[in-house]
Amino acid sequence: MNDKRHDRRDAELDRYFALARQAPPDISGVERNFETRVMARIREGREPWYAWAWRLAPIFLALTILLAGWSLSYSPLHPADPVTMLASGTQEVALLDQLTGE
Amino acid sequence: MAAPDEDADLVRSAIGGDDEAFSELVRRHKGTVLRSASRFARNPEELEDLGQETFLRAYRDLRSFRGEAPFGHWLSRITVRVCYDALRKRRREEKDVSLEVLATPVADPSTGNGPSAQLARMILDQAMSRLKPEDRLVITLFELEDRSVREVAELTGWSETRVKVRVFRARQALKRHIGGDDER
Repeated sequence: MNDKRHDRRDAELDRYFALARQAPPDISGVERNFETRVMARIREGREPWYAWAWRLAPIFLALTILLAGWSLSYSPLHPADPVTMLASGTQEVALLDQLTGE
Repeated sequence: MAAPDEDADLVRSAIGGDDEAFSELVRRHKGTVLRSASRFARNPEELEDLGQETFLRAYRDLRSFRGEAPFGHWLSRITVRVCYDALRKRRREEKDVSLEVLATPVADPSTGNGPSAQLARMILDQAMSRLKPEDRLVITLFELEDRSVREVAELTGWSETRVKVRVFRARQALKRHIGGDDER
């Protein structure tokens, strides 16, 4: 009885396998121009280190622009303001200017 | 089918830096590699990844191809290794897969048509996702690719005894998954 059930299950499993073999997965979409993509990956892996530096160039450029903008907008010293001049130690320069008559 | 001698010439040219030669090797063998990998891939994106990884490894290890066996055999072993690695990697992800669909009966092959073949593949895919990676690899090569025990042993690098044991265990597990657990 148990053997019969085993046989039935084996036969059923074989039927699944037979049917699955009849329906191989469709690979046509992936197969199209596949070699082109593989060769692109291979060439990409061969790129020298400075190729990466070139790729990072836009990031460095953006960073430079940001820093330049920030340094222009951030100017705590205003020479026209005497309090700031004295506080920042530029009084020596002012004294020197007075002594030399400039 | 690619001529082995021509393949060996292309391999030599590719080692010498001829990209076009390797591209020709990919063109010749992509069908075989992708068909084999498609038994393990869950979707076209994964199939693309498996296929590319196979050829990238082949390119990297091209110097280890000695030409004793045809290039296609050597490439098949790499394909199997890549697919096995992928199965092991995703093992954890698929542990909780639903088995509700597994009770669906399929038609007899003599009367079977397109949809039931698709359904059979879907049910098998789900049931096989519950197998251990080694068992899944072996049963796929043995049953779905219709390879002999000896061929499976050569492709995996395992002994024939180990392959037979794995096939037996995989079949037992699949019978339980597909037919229910009333046997226990």
